[in-house]
Amino acid sequence: MEVLEQGVRTLVVKAKSHAPVMSSSSSIHDTFQHFREELDEHHDRRERLIKASRDITNISKKTIFLLHRLALEANDSSALINASKIGLDKLVQVQEMYASLKNELVGDQFWRYQRQISPGLQEYIEALSFAHFLNDGSLITYEQVQATLCGVEGEAYFPLSISDYLLGISDLTGELMRFAISGFGSPGGRAKALEICTFVRGCKADFERFTPYIWELQKKQNVTAQSLAKIEDVAYTAVIRTSEFDLPLEMLDDIVNQVVSNYHSTRDDDGDRQFGAYS
Amino acid sequence: MDQQSLENLNQMLDHESDLRERIREQVNEFDKKTRTISGILSKIHSTPSVAIPSLIETIQAPLHSCGEITAALASLIPPNQFWRWKDMWCNSLRSAIFAAALSLYLTKGTLISLQGTSEILGIQDEWKDRVAISAEDYLHGLITMVNELSRLAVNAVILGDFEQPLRISAFVKGLFVGFSMLNLKNDTLRRRFDSLKYDMKKIEEVVYDISLRNLQTKH
Repeated sequence: MEVLEQGVRTLVVKAKSHAPVMSSSSSIHDTFQHFREELDEHHDRRERLIKASRDITNISKKTIFLLHRLALEANDSSALINASKIGLDKLVQVQEMYASLKNELVGDQFWRYQRQISPGLQEYIEALSFAHFLNDGSLITYEQVQATLCGVEGEAYFPLSISDYLLGISDLTGELMRFAISGFGSPGGRAKALEICTFVRGCKADFERFTPYIWELQKKQNVTAQSLAKIEDVAYTAVIRTSEFDLPLEMLDDIVNQVVSNYHSTRDDDGDRQFGAYS
Repeated sequence: MDQQSLENLNQMLDHESDLRERIREQVNEFDKKTRTISGILSKIHSTPSVAIPSLIETIQAPLHSCGEITAALASLIPPNQFWRWKDMWCNSLRSAIFAAALSLYLTKGTLISLQGTSEILGIQDEWKDRVAISAEDYLHGLITMVNELSRLAVNAVILGDFEQPLRISAFVKGLFVGFSMLNLKNDTLRRRFDSLKYDMKKIEEVVYDISLRNLQTKH
């Protein structure tokens, strides 16, 4: 017991004799206090940006669905242009969100949080490029995307990275595949499918040269290849069926439409009978 | 895409990959330097306390020469792109921070500040959007130092130095209190902080052994 007490005493003495080291404890406290504030601020900002990015993804996805619905109902190019306009209007919400985030992304901060912003930004670019395509059948350029992310005086909210641009527009091919296939049966759908086929093929060829720079793009290219194969099947069908009749595409559509509407008017009359037959 | 857009994008990407190559060259050099320094520093475990200051002296020149690398990086990195590229050199930088922190502790017994580390590595304040020491990198460097000090506590005893573990114990405890003040997320810093308790335990065991045997006075 005495030995132990002696041990404790010397320990206390020792601790005191090392006072110079411990005297820095208040400065350690101040230093780490400062780091705590800095790290807390960083984590909070990161969280805010992740949330905002999720909201932006959400709005963008809804816009894409909206564009699909409107494009499917559209039966001429002016209706498509109108659909595009409605979609672009909806995306103003996203642009306003980016405008409000610009203070979080000032100077070197953008690159600090780029990974948190990317998912929403790419989804936005996908929606934007889809609306842009419906308007005039062209691919939105890097400069045009950046221009949507600028304030009234032309100052960019943040620098658009090339990889976000390319990865965003790369997803457009998937949307165009859906558009080509679901619109195939409607008037003008066959001509549209052929047009989209050429466009997507061009995209895939153009993107190929960028794959060595951006590795995620390679994965997207594989998806684009699958979409392209599906569109090609549809385009094939369009050409084969047309070749059997020496008439322009629109006239074939008219014939089909007539048959469909006639069928519907007769079907209304015998609806009861059919129901009875099954029951 | 029209030809012009394709060309523009290609050019920008080419420029970026070119920059990446040039940064990589510097990082390789940085890595060589920090490996040399770490090699020398590992000798602290077999050097008697009296000879440690002169051992530390030998790493001062290579440590300060890291300033050539940080200056080269500062001239390469475009404005505001610090966070874009920093991951490329953060391992080397953390080793350099560790070396600077350990040197100061072993010679002066005090904790190096972030500012002090920047000065040793020649990092200037006005580079802060291109080359800087982030809080995370600094803290990582300190944790590496604690890892090393827990080994030193054991090895000092092997060399017959019973005072060193007591000094290390007091120093590391103070540092641990500091780390405990931080609200860490589930990231690498958090995992490394969690490892600190094992270092503390190891040091405390050495202190316990020494104190109960009253060895510290027999020096």
